[in-house]
Amino acid sequence: MPDLAVKLNRLSLQNPILVASGTFGYAREMAAFVDFRAIGGIIPKTVTPAPRPGNPPPRTVETASGMLNSIGLDNDGFDQFMTDKLPYLISLGTSIIVNIAAKTNDEFRRMAERLNDAEGVAAVELNISCPNVSGGVDFGTDPSLAATVVGTVREVCRLPVIAKLTPNVTSVVPIARAVADAGCDAVSLVNTFQGMAINWKKQRPVLGNILGGLSGPAIKPLALRIVWQVAQQVQVPIIGVGGIQSIDDVMEFLIAGASAVQIGTANFYNPGIAGQLVSELEAALQLLNADSVTSIVGSLRTGS
Amino acid sequence: MSHSSAPCDSSASMPGMVACAARHVARVAGVRRMAADTWCAAIDAPDLASKITPGQFFMIRPAEGTDPLLGRPFALYDTLSDSNGNPTGVEFGFVKVGKLTSIMSDWRPGDRVSIWGPLGNGFPLPDCQHLICVAGGIGQTPFLGVIREALGQRSYGQPARQVPRKPESVTLCYGVRSEKWLAGLDDFALPGLDVRLATDDGSRGHHGYVTDLLRLQLQQNRPDTHVYCCGPEPMMAAVAKVCREAKVACWLSLETPMACGFGACFSCVTKVVEPDGSWDYRRTCVEGPVFAADRLLFHESV
Repeated sequence: MPDLAVKLNRLSLQNPILVASGTFGYAREMAAFVDFRAIGGIIPKTVTPAPRPGNPPPRTVETASGMLNSIGLDNDGFDQFMTDKLPYLISLGTSIIVNIAAKTNDEFRRMAERLNDAEGVAAVELNISCPNVSGGVDFGTDPSLAATVVGTVREVCRLPVIAKLTPNVTSVVPIARAVADAGCDAVSLVNTFQGMAINWKKQRPVLGNILGGLSGPAIKPLALRIVWQVAQQVQVPIIGVGGIQSIDDVMEFLIAGASAVQIGTANFYNPGIAGQLVSELEAALQLLNADSVTSIVGSLRTGS
Repeated sequence: MSHSSAPCDSSASMPGMVACAARHVARVAGVRRMAADTWCAAIDAPDLASKITPGQFFMIRPAEGTDPLLGRPFALYDTLSDSNGNPTGVEFGFVKVGKLTSIMSDWRPGDRVSIWGPLGNGFPLPDCQHLICVAGGIGQTPFLGVIREALGQRSYGQPARQVPRKPESVTLCYGVRSEKWLAGLDDFALPGLDVRLATDDGSRGHHGYVTDLLRLQLQQNRPDTHVYCCGPEPMMAAVAKVCREAKVACWLSLETPMACGFGACFSCVTKVVEPDGSWDYRRTCVEGPVFAADRLLFHESV
């Protein structure tokens, strides 16, 4: 039986199938559909220092084989997350990776310090890439700013650190290199691609926030390309995310160079998909005569 | 195909978070025309049919493909049963307006769909002397089950739930733009139900709005009257206003766009009044879709 466990620097996972932040609620919402213990880990919805009401609706619209969202980090704030949501999450028998976003380095530092004392958290993922909020430092599009926030969190927090990066830049490679040098344990590639939808008959944008982030099967080739490019050039474990909805997609990301993957939008239209993909992983590895997930990571052959 | 066999009496913190929800790959049993642009689809889904109650909904999409991608929410019209009374499937009404509903109107028996539910809280069990259901357009669909249950003609849920107090009278006020959009009148021809119709163009029933019919009903000043409403938001805002002025309790079933239906995506939010008078965006799918009208601020935006 192939070994499904993966290790991303200090973060060990029982298998490489995670669920992406913002697509799984705080897990309670998924309890009827998913066997939490089977999946590699859960990344709950982004939490910010203070409560945020989020953006005005409509917040999502379907596009060709994808969807745009502009939720705007609607959440009840860090304190409520720690008291009301985290105890449930850490009782679920899988790795919990807390995803945080903030407008300043200090705010990131304060949340990271508090997570330091939380029992049962496996890692922290830094959302420095949400396309739908403004007013803070745009950490994710500048290598030095991105490195500073990773360094700040590493200074005060014992947990493994993952940086979730935006694709809305000329090249993700320098940003991935900067956060790797700053000491992050892994990078999540990629957050949503900025896009928009228009109702031409009303001559109005469809989304309340005008712009949104594109996700779903439509972006899979784009995300796969970025994973491969970063894997070629930066020594850092990669968590691939973008349009994954089948075991074929999972295998493509692993072979491109991802050590783990996140299932995102597919959770909305196929709740239970994450557990199903875990159960299909062994057979796919056996097709390649692979005895472990690790052995196929980055195994893409490009020569003749 | 869920791993879960949780009981339906949800202990979750949200009224519309349903512990017994499950996803199934199911087959279309048939599609029938109800009115202009309006169809009723039947799906073979015994597990869902045994659990769902009036005012709850489910999400449905084709079993394969990525365009359309997301499921769409549909309210239960009624459950289907075999000759022994065992639930076999669900029926729901829809208007052909977009990509998925166009595909759905062409569904053939045996086509495979992915369906997940039951979802949402549903209407409260009738607990009043006089129940008035106010429907606008395709908003009539939740009321067939509500009314049959209120009249004691059918039961829903597992175990079958009981109406605490059977209303003395049940009225359906149903408005559409024009007669050709009146859907399911044969289904609503139920003993004990008083059906009042309105059309914007006067082609059938009252020439005017369904709120006029509601006002006439409320002018009777019958004590212990409750109003359940579903329809376009401007119409629901008007109904809420009429009820507020008449000091009659009113519940509205919202139809906000949803991506998942079970609380994960935070798309389907509406402004809900907090105890301190402020408002917060709340998810229609897991806190509704049925809300007491005085908790909502949605009419500000219509």
